[in-house]
Amino acid sequence: MIELIDVVKKYKIGIHEVIALNGVSLKIEEGEFVAIMGPSGSGKSTLLYLIGCLDKPTSGKVLIDGMDTSKLSDRELTELRRNKIGFIFQQYYLIPTLTALENVELPMVFKGLPKDRRQRRAEKLLELVGLGKKKDRKPNELSGGEQQRVAIARALANEPSILLCDEPTGNLDTKSGRIVMDIIKRLNVEQGVTVVLVTHDPSLSDYADRVIRIRDGRIVDAD
Amino acid sequence: MLIELALRNLARTKVRSVLAIIGIIIGVMAISSIGIFGESLKAVILENFKDVADEVIITPDYTHGYTSIDARTVKKIENLPYAELVIPVKSESALVEHKDRKTYVTVYGMDVKKTKELFELEKGTYKGCLMGSKVAEFFKLRLGSKITVAGKEFRVSGIIKEGARFDINPNYAVILPLRNFDRLFNKDYSMVIVKVEDIDKIEAFKEAVNKVVNRKESKVSVFEMKIIIERIKEVFGKMTLFLMAIAGVSLLVAGISILNIMLMSTIERTKEIGLMRAIGAYRETILKLFLTEALILGLVGSFIGGALSFLGGYSIDMLILKTAKYVLTPSSVLYVILGISFGILTALLSAMYPAWKASKLEPIEALRYE
Ligand SMILES: Nc1ncnc2c1ncn2[C@@H]1O[C@H](COP(=O)(O)OP(=O)(O)O)[C@@H](O)[C@H]1O
Ligand SMILES: [Mg+2]
Repeated sequence: MIELIDVVKKYKIGIHEVIALNGVSLKIEEGEFVAIMGPSGSGKSTLLYLIGCLDKPTSGKVLIDGMDTSKLSDRELTELRRNKIGFIFQQYYLIPTLTALENVELPMVFKGLPKDRRQRRAEKLLELVGLGKKKDRKPNELSGGEQQRVAIARALANEPSILLCDEPTGNLDTKSGRIVMDIIKRLNVEQGVTVVLVTHDPSLSDYADRVIRIRDGRIVDAD
Repeated sequence: MLIELALRNLARTKVRSVLAIIGIIIGVMAISSIGIFGESLKAVILENFKDVADEVIITPDYTHGYTSIDARTVKKIENLPYAELVIPVKSESALVEHKDRKTYVTVYGMDVKKTKELFELEKGTYKGCLMGSKVAEFFKLRLGSKITVAGKEFRVSGIIKEGARFDINPNYAVILPLRNFDRLFNKDYSMVIVKVEDIDKIEAFKEAVNKVVNRKESKVSVFEMKIIIERIKEVFGKMTLFLMAIAGVSLLVAGISILNIMLMSTIERTKEIGLMRAIGAYRETILKLFLTEALILGLVGSFIGGALSFLGGYSIDMLILKTAKYVLTPSSVLYVILGISFGILTALLSAMYPAWKASKLEPIEALRYE
């Protein structure tokens, strides 16, 4: 379960202060598929990164499975991200020197899994996203949609309970975008992974159980 | 996998990596080659003195007013323990003439049987009057040539091979048998050269001299050749280190270039670093990744440089010393190991700051970095 309590996030740029999130409270249950929607600059990504423990709130609390993340050390936060959270970004962020398989292996390398187990699981995950045949390709030998599917496989490497997606289809054409979204939806339905999807594309709201709308750092209406 | 990742990162910027490696190679080569040369130079010089290491020279204690050593004292010295060979020497500066040339030379008188312990001959025999090579050259002497020493005529029976000693300079010496010397000059001994049984017994022998000869007052001083040799070693060791330090500047340059490429690398790979942190890499993991890359550069460069420095040492030795005899000695290997260590250390030290900087990146800022 994810819980945010009165979260404020301010960025300082010189003497200016940007309020990216201005008192956000929300709860996301296990197994839910939640879409966070809002115009560009409304604070969606900021919210997602706070949930993903990539950043800390200026004030307020972020609780993951009831644990107050502000009380965790950098090392503990790293372990939390590694074991519980999978990230999918708009720009995929694959490591260009590594093959698809090796990219998927990477989170397991950081976890310290032995090589044969890593490889077996990475192969299975690539099969799952339909890239079993292209496992030895480097990112630049894959299309955008394929790269995003590799990124999904990587996000699943350590069997996270939460999948955080920041505009996963933002760089993709409609068809590839649908394939990616279908995979994410399937993971949610079949494996019960909690999905938080950030997007400004209204057509994606159909995938979600619930839509949270955000504007100027505030939740405007949660249905 | 970390090593694999590091290798691929290095391969990604091949030209840069190769240049960094070349920098290290040159640095290590410069240090180690000069180390080898310094060591060879020392060896070449010490070779001349290898026979005198176990020698002790006893001279009159001038500070106490003694200008010579009398026969009684020499007798005492001859009976001291640890003295294997005792060579009392008399000396006097005298006019030496041959045909129309003349010059002042130091003339030594010593027991004919013992001269062969101190000098090697180029030609002739030890029996009779021996000429230093420079003296022979000056007078254009041959075996059997007639020369006049302090007004008395002698025949040259041997010419001493060129060499070096601290007590008697053999190249400029004229050596006479003691009884001939005594006929020319009425003098006591000016020094006593003693070969001690064993280098380790030199201290004990010195003590014996002080106990027996210098008991009442200090009549003689004792110099160990060993000390001079040790001083030479020390001076040449320092000189080698100094030269190596100068050569080390090239390693410094290599280090700065590694620092530079690693900094570039952290900036170029900011997003990757952020991503790795996001999916579960510890700060230390990032630190290790960058240090591993530097270590690979350092290892490859240092070992190639180390191997090539034998070639470098050989070239310098051949060029300056005209001998390659001392290129492959244990101490040369030591200098090569030293160079290799410095190469690896330089690479690691220069990567320290970039690696630390990379590991300090906040994942979120790294990912948002444009
Ligand atoms: N690192 C940052 N420094 C300064 N301002 C930032 C930073 N990150 C985001 N912002 C600002 O915070 C606001 C919200 O940004 P973001 O969460 O990226 O919005 P969204 O993802 O909805 O487009 C924007 O005004 C943005 O300019
Ligand atoms: Mg955004």
